[in-house]
Amino acid sequence: MLTISTKEKEKTSPLITAVQKYTVELTKSSAASWSSQLRQKSLNNFLTLGVPTIKNEDWKYTNLSALSSINFKPIAQGKFSFQADVKRLIKADEITLVFVNGLLEENLSNLGAMPKGLSLLSLKKALAERQTEIENLLKKYEGVFEPAFISLNRALASDGAFIHIADKTHVEKVIHIIHVTQTAEPALTTPATYIFLGKSAEATVLETHVGYADSVYLAAPLTEVSLGQNAVLHYCKAQSESLKAYHVGNTRVWQERDSHFDGFALMNGGDITRNDLDIISNGEGTSSTMNGFYGVNGKQFVDNHSSMDHRQPNCTSNQLYKGILNGSSNASFNGKIFVRQIAQKTNSYQLNKNLVLGADCKVNTKPQLEIFADDVKCTHGATIGQMNEEEIFYLQSRCISKKTAIKLLAHGFVGDIITKIHNPSIQDKLNILLEPTFAALE
Amino acid sequence: MPKGEEKALNEKTIQENALSSRDYKYGFYTDIEVDRIPKGLNEETIRLISTKKHEPEWMYEWRLKAFRHWKTLTEPHWANFEYGPIDYQALSYYTAPKSKKGGPIGNIDTTDPELIKTFEKLGIPLSEQKRLTGVAVDAVFDSVSVGTTHQAELAKVGVIFCSMTEAIEQHPELVKKYMGSVVPYSDNFFAALNAAVFSDGSFCYIPKGVKCPLELSTYFRINAAESGQFERTLIVAEEGSYVSYLEGCTAPMRDENQLHAAVVELVALDNAEIKYSTVQNWYSGDKAGKGGIYNFVTKRGKCAGKNSKISWTQVEAGSAITWKYPSVILQGDNSVGKFYSVALTNNRMQADTGTKMIHIGKNTKSTVVSKGISTDESNNSYRGMIKIMPSAEGARNFSQCDSMLIGNKCSANTFPYIEVKNNSAVLEHEASTSKINADQIFYLQSRGLDLEGAISLIINGFCKDVFKELPMEFAVEAVKLLEMKLEGSVG
Repeated sequence: MLTISTKEKEKTSPLITAVQKYTVELTKSSAASWSSQLRQKSLNNFLTLGVPTIKNEDWKYTNLSALSSINFKPIAQGKFSFQADVKRLIKADEITLVFVNGLLEENLSNLGAMPKGLSLLSLKKALAERQTEIENLLKKYEGVFEPAFISLNRALASDGAFIHIADKTHVEKVIHIIHVTQTAEPALTTPATYIFLGKSAEATVLETHVGYADSVYLAAPLTEVSLGQNAVLHYCKAQSESLKAYHVGNTRVWQERDSHFDGFALMNGGDITRNDLDIISNGEGTSSTMNGFYGVNGKQFVDNHSSMDHRQPNCTSNQLYKGILNGSSNASFNGKIFVRQIAQKTNSYQLNKNLVLGADCKVNTKPQLEIFADDVKCTHGATIGQMNEEEIFYLQSRCISKKTAIKLLAHGFVGDIITKIHNPSIQDKLNILLEPTFAALE
Repeated sequence: MPKGEEKALNEKTIQENALSSRDYKYGFYTDIEVDRIPKGLNEETIRLISTKKHEPEWMYEWRLKAFRHWKTLTEPHWANFEYGPIDYQALSYYTAPKSKKGGPIGNIDTTDPELIKTFEKLGIPLSEQKRLTGVAVDAVFDSVSVGTTHQAELAKVGVIFCSMTEAIEQHPELVKKYMGSVVPYSDNFFAALNAAVFSDGSFCYIPKGVKCPLELSTYFRINAAESGQFERTLIVAEEGSYVSYLEGCTAPMRDENQLHAAVVELVALDNAEIKYSTVQNWYSGDKAGKGGIYNFVTKRGKCAGKNSKISWTQVEAGSAITWKYPSVILQGDNSVGKFYSVALTNNRMQADTGTKMIHIGKNTKSTVVSKGISTDESNNSYRGMIKIMPSAEGARNFSQCDSMLIGNKCSANTFPYIEVKNNSAVLEHEASTSKINADQIFYLQSRGLDLEGAISLIINGFCKDVFKELPMEFAVEAVKLLEMKLEGSVG
C-alpha cells in the first residue's frame, strides 16, 4: 500500500484522489514495467509532498488552494473549435507536432521529411524504446529535490514529445510542439517533453501551450532538457492558456561542458501561472540565457521561478525577465543563482523589470544570490516602475494619442526582449500570442 | 578643562584601538562582586527581576503576559545559519555588579571604581573630569546601567536620557505610552523573551522642537559568564526634534556562547529625525568557531508623523551569530527611512542581517545600502524586505547590496524580498557579489602600498557610502575595527 503522509485535508482533496486514480489506471496493464515503476515512484513522491501551500517558502506568493476543491475529470479526447487560431502558429517549413488534449493530432502536425540525425518520437513510444536515455538523465538528478508537480507530471504523463539529436548534427528547422486544450469539464493535462542533444548538436525548439477561452483545467507540463558537450539549444516556451486555466510548469535543463542553453519564456495566459526553470551547469565553460516576458491583465496571476546552479568553473549565465501588469493582476519573480565553492570565475547576471500599469496590481520580486566561491562576478537587479510621463508627453506632442503612445511604449518595452530571440519565426509567433496582451492596454 | 585636552584624549583612544593587536582587545574579564539570580526561567524569575528593579505592578504584568506568550512560541530557524540548541534554563537572567559604597546602582559617584576602570579600558570614560565632550553616555554592564553622563546638561533643554529602570520609575506615563508600540511583545520569539526578562537599557525622550545638543550613546558590556543580556532601548522624538544616538558593545572572550537578545524601539513624530548608529563588536568566537555571542536583536523604528525621518547605520563586526533586521515603518506621509550597513564576518561568524522598509504613508522614501564582506569560513547574508502597501502613493525605494568575498571558503548570499501593492511606486534594487579587484590591488601595490594596506584602502572605499553616515568618531573607529578584523584574513 502507498505511504501517504500528507495532511488529512489534502488526502481527501479531489485533485489528490484524481492523480492517484489515474496513475493506478495507467499502471494497471503493465505493473512490472520500468515506466509503471517510475509512475508509482513519482506518485509516492507527489503524495508525500502534497500540493504546496503558501507556507512553503518557494510557494509563498502562489496560492494554489483553489485547486484542491476542483473536481478534475479525465480529459475528453478529440476535437477543438479554434483551428484557425492554432493554424496561424503553424508554418509549412517547420516540423510541427500538435497535441490536442494530450493526443497527437496528425492532421495538423507536420512530420514529413525528418532531417538526418533527428529522432522525433511520441512519449509513449519513447518510454518503451528509449528507456536508457531517459533513465540515464533521471539518474543524474539523484539527490536533487524533486518538486511535487514534476512528480505529478511523471506519474500521469501519457503522451508528449521525445526529441533526440545525434552528435554533430545541426537541425535548422524549428521544431514546434503545440499543446492545445479545450475541455467542457475541469480536466488535468500533463504533457511531457524530453529534449536530448548530443555532442556539438544544435536545435531550435518552441513549445506552445494554448487553450480555449472558457476551459478550466490544470496543465502541469514538464520539459526535460539534456545538453551534451558543446551542444546549443534555442528553446522557447510560450504559454497562452485559457484565462480560466491553471498552469504549473517545470523545465529542467542539464548542461554538460561548453554547452549553451538559450531559453525564453513567454507567459501571458492562465488564471494562475507558475513556471519553474531549473538549470544545472555541470561542466566547465557553459553559458545559459534565461530570458522571459510576462504580461498579465484582469485578475491573472503569474509567478516565474528560476534557479541557476553553477556547479563548475568558468560559466556564465544571463537572465532578463520583463513584465507588464495591467488591471488588478499579480506577478511574482524569484530568481536564484547558486555558485558552488568550486565554480570560480562564474559570471552571472540577473535583472527583473516590471512595468505596472493597473491600479491594483501587485508585484513581488526576489532576486536571490547564494555564493560560495570568491572569484566570481554576480550581479542582480530589480526595478518596478510606471510609464515615463515625459515619453508619453513627447509622443503626444507629436500628435499621437495617449492610448497609442502607451501602446507604442509598451511595444518598445517588450520588443527589446523579444528581438533577443534567435529565430525570427519564433518572434513572429510570440507576437501573435501577445496580441491579446496589447489589446488589453486600450 | 580646556577643550584641546579633551580632544587629545579622544584621539588617544582612537589611536590605542589602531595600535592594538589583531586579537579581540576587549576580551578581558572584570572580576567584580555581583548580585545574580539563580539560573532558570519561570514566572518566579520574572517576579524576581521585577522586584529587584522596584517596578510598578503594570510593568510586572506586562512582563508576565510576554512570558506566557513566549512559552507558546518556538525558536525560529529560518535564517541562513546554524547554531546549537540554546538552553534557556541554563542562563541567569539578572546579573548586576554590587555597589561597594552601598548606594544605588546607576549613580556614577557610588559605583565600584573597578567598573569605572573597566569602561575606561573600553575607551568610555565615565568620571566627570575625563568625559568626552559632546557625547552623553549610558553605560550598561550586564543587566544594569551603571551610570549616565551629562544628565543635568541635557535636562536643561528638556531631554530625558536615562536608564530604562529610571524611566519606569520617573516617567511611567511615557514608558507606558510608547513601550511595545513599535515592537510588541508578540512580535517574535526573541522580542517576547526580551519583553519578559529585559533588565535595563536606555530611554531617550526629546521634547517638541528640541535639537539634542549632545550625541547620546549607550555602551553595552556583557561581563558575567552563563548569563545573557536583554536590554531594551526606547527613543521618542517629539514633533520637530532631532537626536543622534550611538551604540557600542563588547564582551569577554569565553568558550561558551552567550545570548544577547535586545529590543530597540524608535518613535519619530511630525518633522522629527532620529539617527541611530551602531558599532557592534561582541566577541565573535575563536578561529574554530568556539564561543562568541549569539546576537538576536529586534530593532524597529516608526516614522509615525509627517515628514519624519529615521536612519539606521550599523557596522556589524562581531558576534558568532548576528540576526538583526533594523526596520522602519513609514507611516507618516513624506517620511523617510534609511538603512546603511557594513557587515564583516571572519573566522566562522555567521551573519544574517538586513532591513525591512514598510511604506504605508504617501510619498514615503527609503534608501538601503548594505555592504557585506566575508572572509575565512564565514557566512554573510543580506535579507531585506521592501513592502509598499496600497496606501503608499508615490513611494520610492532604492536598494543596493554589495558583497565582497575574500577567500574561497566563505559565502555571501542575498535574499531581497520586494512586495509592491501600489502602482505608483518606483523601486530599484541592485546587488553584486565579487572578489577584490586584482587590478586595483596591483595598482596600489605598484604605488608602494603593501598588500594589507592596499586591501584596507579598497575595503574602505567599498564601505565609504556607509561610513560617511556615521558620526566622525565612530567612523574612525569603524575603519580601524574593520582593518583589525581583516588583518590575517587577507593574503
